[in-house]
Amino acid sequence: MKRLLHILLLLTMLAACSREVETAPLYRQYASRPDLTVAQVAGFQLGDTVRVDVVILVADDSAAWQGLKTEFDIRPSEGVTSWLGDIDNPARRVKRSEVPLWRAMAVHEERTLAFYRVATQAEFDALREYQMEIMGD
Amino acid sequence: MGQNSMTFEELWEREERQGLEQRLRQEYPAWRRRRRARRVALASVAVLAGVALYTFHLPPSTRGYDAVACNRSGIADSHWVDVAAKTLKTTAR
Repeated sequence: MKRLLHILLLLTMLAACSREVETAPLYRQYASRPDLTVAQVAGFQLGDTVRVDVVILVADDSAAWQGLKTEFDIRPSEGVTSWLGDIDNPARRVKRSEVPLWRAMAVHEERTLAFYRVATQAEFDALREYQMEIMGD
Repeated sequence: MGQNSMTFEELWEREERQGLEQRLRQEYPAWRRRRRARRVALASVAVLAGVALYTFHLPPSTRGYDAVACNRSGIADSHWVDVAAKTLKTTAR
């Protein structure tokens, strides 16, 4: 009985210590690419209660950026490009009503692609409100 | 002489005491073991409950994000949180 409790305790503590980010398929798809720095921010806070996951792809050089642009069908070569992407295939553009989706943003100067996972209308609104607040600052 | 001079009540008391002492000698170690096991079990259950509560009902983070994963080491979590915020800022303009 005592031994069993000790084992249970050990397992629970191990489980608690090994709390890791449950990475999105999008993150896992690109994490092994040597020419990209890939990150996922879990629970990025948008408002008092709304949190979304964000996957960020940063191309290490211009060749990698060109590759990303081709993969995600990003036409402009400067400024900022944004679109709503399919949750399973972010390169495919979808309508706002097709949640869950990725709100994708490409910043050419930074060679950065950021995908905000939007699962509900409330999250979509929170994302826009967050941007509005930033504009007001 | 000594035993014979004892009253029945005294004899009864002595026997009762000796019986109790013998019983205690026999049962006390087992009782201690049981008490220790009970305390260990209670402490383990309390710790398990605490860890389970912590694990499954973590309060929302107050630092603006829950966790960060990155395929490269050596980059601070806050950098990626800044990138997430900055990208929204850039696209808001």
